[in-house]
Amino acid sequence: MADLRTEWLGLALASPVVVSASPISRDPDAVAAAVDAGAGAVVLHSLFEEQLVHEQMAAFRFLDSRTDLDAESSGIVPESDVFPLGAEPYLAELRRLRERVDEPVVASLNGTTPGGWTGYARELEAGGASALELNLYEVPTSADESGAQAEDRQVEVVTSVVGSVRIPVTVKISPFYASVPAFVRRLERAGVRGVTVFNRFYQPDIDLDALDVDRRLLPSTPAELPLRLHALAILSPATTLSLGCTGGVHSGEDAAKAILAGAHVVQVATALLTHGPRHVAAIRERLVSWLDEKGYRSSAEARGVLDASTAPDPHAWARLNYARMLDGWRSREDWRRLP
Amino acid sequence: MTEPLLHRTLDANEAVADVAYRLSEVVAIYPITPASPMGEHADAWSADGRPNLWGLVPEVVEMQSEGGAAGAVHGALQAGALATTFTASQGLLLMLPDLFKIAGELTSYCMHVAARTVATHALSIFGDHSDVMAARGTGMALLCSNSSQEAHDLAAIGHAATLRARVPVLHFFDGFRTSHEITRVAPLSDDDLRALLDEEAIRAHRARALDPDRPVLRGTSQNPDAYFQSREAVEPFYERFPAVLDETMERFAGITGRRYRLFEYVGHPQAERVLVLMGSGAECAHETVEHLVARGERVGVVKVRLVRPFSLPHLLAALPASATSVTVLDRTKEPGSSAEPLFGEIAAALLEAVARGDRPGLPRLAGGRYGLASKEFTPAMVKAAFDDMSAASPKRRFTLGIRDDVSGSSLPWDASFDVEADDVSRALFFGLGADGTVSANKAAIKIIGEETDLFAQGHFEYDSRKAGSTTISHLRFGPRPIRSTYRIRRAQLVAIHDPGFLERYDVLEAAAPGASVLLNTPIAPERVWDSLPAEIQQALVGKRCRLFVIDGYGVAEKAGLGRRINTVMQVCFFALAKVLPIDEAMGHMRAAVEKTWGRRGAEVVRRNFAALDAALPAMREVEVPATATTDRRRPPAVPGDAPEFVQKVTRLLLEGRGDDLPVSAFPPDGTWPTGTSRWEKRALALDVPIWQPDLCVQCNFCSMICPHTAIQTKLYEPAGLAGAPEGFRSAPQSFDAKLGDLRFTVQVAPEDCTGCGLCVEVCPAKDRTNPRRKALVSEPLEPHRAVERRSFEFFESIVSAPLDALPVDKRTAVFRTPLFEFSGACAGCGETPYIRLLTQLFGDHLLVANATGCSSIYGGNLPTTPWTTNRDGRGPAWSNSLFEDNAEFGFGMQLAVDVRAARARNLLREAASRLPAKLVDELLAPGSGESWMAAQRARVAELDRLLAADASPEARAAREASPSLVPRSVWIVGGDGWAYDIDYGGLDHVLASERKVNVLVLDTEVYSNTGGQRSKATPLGAAAKFATAGKATRKKDLGLLAMSYGHVYVAEVAMQARSAQTVEAFLEADRHPGPSLVIAHSPCIAHGYDLVHSPAQQKRAIDSGMWPLYRFDPARIDRGEAPLVLDSGPTRLDVSAYMENEARFRMVQLRSPERYAALLEASRTAIRQRRSLYEQLAKIHLPQEEKGHG
Repeated sequence: MADLRTEWLGLALASPVVVSASPISRDPDAVAAAVDAGAGAVVLHSLFEEQLVHEQMAAFRFLDSRTDLDAESSGIVPESDVFPLGAEPYLAELRRLRERVDEPVVASLNGTTPGGWTGYARELEAGGASALELNLYEVPTSADESGAQAEDRQVEVVTSVVGSVRIPVTVKISPFYASVPAFVRRLERAGVRGVTVFNRFYQPDIDLDALDVDRRLLPSTPAELPLRLHALAILSPATTLSLGCTGGVHSGEDAAKAILAGAHVVQVATALLTHGPRHVAAIRERLVSWLDEKGYRSSAEARGVLDASTAPDPHAWARLNYARMLDGWRSREDWRRLP
Repeated sequence: MTEPLLHRTLDANEAVADVAYRLSEVVAIYPITPASPMGEHADAWSADGRPNLWGLVPEVVEMQSEGGAAGAVHGALQAGALATTFTASQGLLLMLPDLFKIAGELTSYCMHVAARTVATHALSIFGDHSDVMAARGTGMALLCSNSSQEAHDLAAIGHAATLRARVPVLHFFDGFRTSHEITRVAPLSDDDLRALLDEEAIRAHRARALDPDRPVLRGTSQNPDAYFQSREAVEPFYERFPAVLDETMERFAGITGRRYRLFEYVGHPQAERVLVLMGSGAECAHETVEHLVARGERVGVVKVRLVRPFSLPHLLAALPASATSVTVLDRTKEPGSSAEPLFGEIAAALLEAVARGDRPGLPRLAGGRYGLASKEFTPAMVKAAFDDMSAASPKRRFTLGIRDDVSGSSLPWDASFDVEADDVSRALFFGLGADGTVSANKAAIKIIGEETDLFAQGHFEYDSRKAGSTTISHLRFGPRPIRSTYRIRRAQLVAIHDPGFLERYDVLEAAAPGASVLLNTPIAPERVWDSLPAEIQQALVGKRCRLFVIDGYGVAEKAGLGRRINTVMQVCFFALAKVLPIDEAMGHMRAAVEKTWGRRGAEVVRRNFAALDAALPAMREVEVPATATTDRRRPPAVPGDAPEFVQKVTRLLLEGRGDDLPVSAFPPDGTWPTGTSRWEKRALALDVPIWQPDLCVQCNFCSMICPHTAIQTKLYEPAGLAGAPEGFRSAPQSFDAKLGDLRFTVQVAPEDCTGCGLCVEVCPAKDRTNPRRKALVSEPLEPHRAVERRSFEFFESIVSAPLDALPVDKRTAVFRTPLFEFSGACAGCGETPYIRLLTQLFGDHLLVANATGCSSIYGGNLPTTPWTTNRDGRGPAWSNSLFEDNAEFGFGMQLAVDVRAARARNLLREAASRLPAKLVDELLAPGSGESWMAAQRARVAELDRLLAADASPEARAAREASPSLVPRSVWIVGGDGWAYDIDYGGLDHVLASERKVNVLVLDTEVYSNTGGQRSKATPLGAAAKFATAGKATRKKDLGLLAMSYGHVYVAEVAMQARSAQTVEAFLEADRHPGPSLVIAHSPCIAHGYDLVHSPAQQKRAIDSGMWPLYRFDPARIDRGEAPLVLDSGPTRLDVSAYMENEARFRMVQLRSPERYAALLEASRTAIRQRRSLYEQLAKIHLPQEEKGHG
């Protein structure tokens, strides 16, 4: 039976199947069940500094500022120091998971201020995180900052965080860089130990009745996998970093594909939400059986064998292939309409 | 003797609770102003696991009423626990029966009372001794403290003494003046308390417990042969108590160095004139006496600490034998008594002393009343009392502190008399409730009191508004203990935290010569002087003040703190007050910010730090010219066309000059005119809604949801537009084709709007090319103020088109004249729209019985009140009796309505021969509906006309009674604390009757008025005071309990999201021939979110099944239908989506995700079960009543 042991970010994992940020990762029982079913590690949801700030200011405005307003009411909340609004709830969650499972628990962070990034990173390290994922989630809306400036800023953040913690740091990036490999190289030089592709964004929709924007986060589907496979395949030969794949891995077959493209670990969320935490076992078993069928002794052996350096047709991962595929779909009528 | 390691700055509530908590095992409480904070502290400490003196966390329980708390305490004591409670005023009255029992059973027990006025002609939350004096017959020892330090100490002494003496102790101190005044306190350590307590006495208390191992029987019923003797058997314990207390005080002195006495004398050793009083006023007298003695006067004051059991020897020991004149001041009034209670005690005691030969003769005795409901009591008044003692013909009975031009009781006083030393720093702050001024001042006192050697005092005044309230903070600090228990009259620093105050109050009246004046204003420094009204300019010049200005709003806004300017202004205060080097003060302020806000995360701290750093550089001094340069006077507080009463009385109350009003200005029985809120134009809103007629779809959502009746809609004839002022907007009605060419207007009352934004939020009409623009656009008030003010005045003058052709529904209901307007409720209040709707539907024939709570405060607290009248002068007649009796009170109103109607019908029948038969028949025929009401009123008028010239007794009686032929609608209104808890028994009884009374429960799911304590309406999973960890039990299903009677009309409504159903329920309830109960979902600031989102949040409550909508109409049973109709569909939203949007639930999640998860699951189950039960009820068919069987 194929050996699934994997090294990721310098951590020894029993399996490349990792529980990704989702309601599952917030529930210690569910995480324990997933680990029991063969998950190699857990990545927590991101601590969003912006969200903490938002909630802190909401509490300031709607609770704490409503003290000493009138003679009869000293305030509207119990005086007891009952609820923390910094990183503490997140750290408590982290602690609970650490107590519950022996497998590595990776904390994730999305900061908004330089001090926030490094400060929270240190808190998460002190809180017992095995590694730190920096979630470089941002939506550029300003035309005043160029792509290069935005990248510089991000690299600066990553550098400062890497310099302020001892645990391994990995970075979760979006697909929206002019050159993903070049940006990853800069991250590597900044001292990170891994990269995870790709972040998923909210998918806003338009509400035609209300003339309004409808915000939502749809669950991932296997259709999102090819974009990740593509990135992994290109990054795999170009970097020594640990590579993670998140988004679109729903089955053992999906996991196998990601590993073949170069992933050290596959992170699973939607499939566990749909089928329960024990679905890790199904993914794992299918992955093992596929590895066995193909005669791989370990997942490590299969890793990257179809990446851009070793795929039978390396050009398959290049843009030409994309164009060709499009061409294949086009009807003859469409051809005639082209200028 | 233990030297305290540090000082703390505490108010008496906290100082007392700190001791009582540590010395108790059971704390049973119920919220009541001004005692609530004691219970809240105990609750918070218990939630945080703070142990008592014996290492256990006390059981802190909230009961359904003070009566319940007293019962629980009584039981706990009987079963051997050390128990306490905290209360005031009506709460103490509700405890009286148990106090008689507790004392009769010689129970070791000490309770704590923040003494407050008992409601008489009016409720007052403020302080006097009427409650405590009402308890003097209970057998409780009455022990009085005058300051926070004393209250802290005497709390401990009270607990220790009662354990030894077995006479229970009622320890009290003045509500607000002491309970809420922050001063420096040397705290008692656990070791101090241990050293004070007699462990043997505790053992004995426990040994007296009811215990099946040593069974006894207590609480027998006794006959004439036994009762009297056994009642007298307690006497030795009362005899002994004063000595035990004195010994305990002695012991306390050995531990702390602070020696208290039963009667404390201060003054000249051979004083001739002596004042006797107790409470905070005694400190003012103390200060004044020291001043007068230093001037060589032979005066003194006896401060009474132990009122009961009264100890003559201790009094005689304190009162100088030289006293030839003794005046006793009572802070209470007992109408018709031969003497007020303290005076009575002292006089009787002195008579006894003379009779026993302990004194050669009686001094000249006089008694005065002062300080009712926290009326100001100053050194000048103390001096007036002394002066009167030397007068040729002194008054034997008098009042002090008011001008009584009715009975002539009052003593005059010299307002210029002052005793305050120059080395005491005094600062006065005018703030807005929401700007954080009071909180910042509390922090400043803490810094001064705990980081310097100075004594500090902070006293805070609030008006009764919940939106846009004014606060006045009085801060003193100086080298000696501060005994000045009165307002600051010569402030060296006056801080005006909002420029609006300049136009409303004489803010510099109390500025001392040479004072520094700090003004927060957005106006640039170089233009500030010219912007000031003449009164302010003259005061600045005349008093040679220095003027400092800062754009506090700008600095706070830039730091990301909105309009929370307190941090900014605090820095300016420290810079100007110079009590500490500014760098040192900045360090303390930073530490305080860290301590206060650190628990809420780094961001709030960061922004406050930014505000701290930016403040000083933004402060500028403005040069005060040699003379005033403007003649622009401050505008009058009420317009010139206001009614006479408003001009004479309300205006002074609004200007903060109510103390100047004489007795004759007031109605003697508490009766007050309605419709006064319209004369107070507060202009609170920064932004107001501006109507865009081109987009409006005339849905009336805006006027339906407005909590302040500040946006109104009207349909009217085109001729109504004649004389419209420029800027008035109107549109052709698109309401209903059959209304023809009527016009329609949405009009804001710009100076009454609070800017809550709800109308803009619910407005559904959007500009299709710019969806951000709705039919209501939020715009800054000032540019629109004048135009909209004129427009609103014109709008009010337009006569509404007749609405008879339209059904009463969610769109048309709000066209009816609102008779509840511009209340002082919170911006975005979820209760007031229901009340306004009630007045729109039934206002011209409405009687309201209003339970004490938020609705009685915004509905009936002076200076102005929102209930008003229509063009005909008709409108709701309103009254508030109590918190605990409102259902019965309203029921009584209904009985009177029924009796008066029956009498009117009888008299009409007796006079029938004088009237046309048709008129009599029609007058006697039952009817309902708006047009029938109008016709009935016309018939009554006709009767009046026909009988006017008839001098016969029958005709006259029929005429006088005839208005009662027009039906009255009685509505009993109150919050959930009233309906679910304190008066549930009464409500249940009223609903069980067959009377046609209507009940409206404004359910905020928490005690809103006293600051968010749990009620039985609090939902499962919500945090509230006394449910800090999240309430683990379900909300009481009040509606279901009422349905069980079968004859009660019951509805649950939520008008922000489903106004159609609300209107329907109100109409059905009013039509229902028996009792009705409407439970109304009322969003409240206590839920912890921005109330502008309350319509969406209410929809979530409905969709998640948290708040099902239904109507249960017994009439349907008779029609063979199921009585219950569910108006909300099946659950279509997980309740977590509702809960996560309100801080009250989110707090639980943050504190313990596991507990939250469990409570969430329990909530889901509760919702499923309740829904299932209701669905089944909505399908049941009950056998109809069989007629004819008697």
